[in-house]
Amino acid sequence: MKDSNANENMGDPCLPGGLIPAEQWTLPQTSVRRSLKGAFRNALRQLRAGVSQAEQPFESMDELPELSAAQQSRLAPEPDYPVQAEAIACDLECARSEGSLSREVVCLVAPPFSGVQEALARFPELRHPESSKDSGEEWRVVSPPDTLSFDDQGASEWWDKQDLSRPWVIPELSDFWLRHLSGLTLVKELFRRIANEDAGAGIVGCSSWCWKYWGHYLENAQMSPWTPAPMDSERLGVWFSHLASGCAKPPITARMADDGLYVLPLAETDEAGKNKNGKKRKYSTFLRDLAATSRGNPGVALAIWQRSLRTRPDDDAKVEDARKKSEEQSPAAHCWIVPLGRLSLPTMPQSKESVTGFVLHGLLLHNGLDAASLESVTGVSAHELSLVLSRLKRAELVIYDQTHQLWHVTAIGYPTVRRHLQSWGFPVDQF
Amino acid sequence: MIDDLGIKDAFASITGQALLHALLVIVIASLITVAIQKVLPRVAEKLGGKPRLYLLASVPLLRLVIILATIMIVVPILVKPSFENMVAIFGALALALGFAFKDYANSLIAGVVTLYEMPYRPGDWIEVDGQYGEVRAINTRAAEIVTPDDTVVIIPHNKLWNSLIANGNDGTDNLMCVADFHLEANHDVGKVRELLRDIAFTSPRTKTWHPVLVIVFNKPWGMHYRLKAYPFDPKEQFQFISELTARGSAELARQGVKFVSAPVTAN
Repeated sequence: MKDSNANENMGDPCLPGGLIPAEQWTLPQTSVRRSLKGAFRNALRQLRAGVSQAEQPFESMDELPELSAAQQSRLAPEPDYPVQAEAIACDLECARSEGSLSREVVCLVAPPFSGVQEALARFPELRHPESSKDSGEEWRVVSPPDTLSFDDQGASEWWDKQDLSRPWVIPELSDFWLRHLSGLTLVKELFRRIANEDAGAGIVGCSSWCWKYWGHYLENAQMSPWTPAPMDSERLGVWFSHLASGCAKPPITARMADDGLYVLPLAETDEAGKNKNGKKRKYSTFLRDLAATSRGNPGVALAIWQRSLRTRPDDDAKVEDARKKSEEQSPAAHCWIVPLGRLSLPTMPQSKESVTGFVLHGLLLHNGLDAASLESVTGVSAHELSLVLSRLKRAELVIYDQTHQLWHVTAIGYPTVRRHLQSWGFPVDQF
Repeated sequence: MIDDLGIKDAFASITGQALLHALLVIVIASLITVAIQKVLPRVAEKLGGKPRLYLLASVPLLRLVIILATIMIVVPILVKPSFENMVAIFGALALALGFAFKDYANSLIAGVVTLYEMPYRPGDWIEVDGQYGEVRAINTRAAEIVTPDDTVVIIPHNKLWNSLIANGNDGTDNLMCVADFHLEANHDVGKVRELLRDIAFTSPRTKTWHPVLVIVFNKPWGMHYRLKAYPFDPKEQFQFISELTARGSAELARQGVKFVSAPVTAN
């Protein structure tokens, strides 16, 4: 549907690149220098783990003042999920009309923090319900049951009770199962009904980790999932600008704190790749490196972006005056970016690999779990679990969501967690 | 005889200073070898995963490179590297090895063959002559394996010539584990196979992207099930098999499927 060429088809700025078939997803590229540097730094971190206990993962390496909460919410706010929901609905409708999507039930697979779950949960609020397949009918969210332990008969009866006759949406499939003997039946039954075309028209949102697991479990299931296009540097630039200023002009101006190179606004180029407005600006590779570091994951990229934003590089009063004048003249926001190499990102604490791996893998597989369920799926005792979780929490790799009483992996810690799980031999997602 | 081989002439030019130089080179090479053998395995343990295997495998190779380099440096220091001298030295060496240290030389040569054929590498889980364990080190003459009971077994490399060597993971981190279940007959075989497959898929230790297989054999005493799966780390194999066995047994008992107490061998 959306072409991989960003210049040709950037699509809706709240969902740059739109939706693509999952098999077309590719990892954003980075320079060899950056890859080698990253690999070397990662190996060094692992070797140093435990050697220098005094070094805490979040010791600030730069002296620039961080943004206040108000500034951060203005320059790098959370995405507008209802708008994103509209963009997803529009893209799906477009794919149907083009004939590239013919299934009644479409599976939307996305890595954690991509915002798809939050957007799908807003589908019933869509302002244009006619965008659903059956014109005029509103989407209905299928919520998971309180308990996930069912036998085959019970699972079948539970799905019988769900109204699948009108368009339905499951924001996150991970909420419907547990990696436990009696926790698999609901999803098995759902996939059986989808395969038999017995589930009506709907959308299944699914975390990429959960999807990978079920892809292995149901070897013969061919669901042809769709996914948001990976955020490459250009899409990230468009998205960050959109988040900060929406459609208002002029856009946010962001420059590197060390060398002053421009990050935003993006260079406007014509078809030949030449600068449209003729301004000779030197651009940083920050967005390209950020896209590679976050593996094209918008939520992770946003978390790192929020952490890298700073107000100004020094306390020079002249700079401050210039900034004020600039703000008076135009509503454009100005900020400075800490280079990725100088940014303090979470590191994995040294501990027993297997238990830490079970916990982190369990959390990603289920997109967050409460302590009791985590104990059940990992087989780790409650006592040991609390020790591991508190250690991971101090390292900012997991966080406890008080509202839903669930433990989650943090967006900022996700790249570290994924890299370590892969190195320890755990199954990881494709994104 | 020594005169016939020209050994005396070859070593006639050796001076005290040359000996000292050669000794210094050998000491330095030995120190580097020891450092590599001590440091790299420790670094490998910290890295984990595939980097660990690669780093462990590089230890014997680096040692071989150092030994060859040392020989190439030391020989010209001690003797003039002429054709006659080389023939004399290597001829004498061959005689000495052939008569006095035949078995030792056999192991040394097998050790060199091991480095390029790689029937086992550090980090591999192998079985030789009934001894199963993880290869801890590949030394010049023998390999060291550590059994699951934490016993070090020294296996001379010359076992390579005439023994069957079983390698469980062959330089990778993929090691298949098998949990056996001996059940009484008269049960739903399909249901039990599905249940055992679920047991493996719900274990947090399972590498789900590798095949999970349930094989069943009809025996005179009942049914023999073999649940095959890969743990995420070969070191977890015993925990993994224990977990599969314990959870499988509990669930089968809950389903009313009975175990046979002792398999009967049919004649």
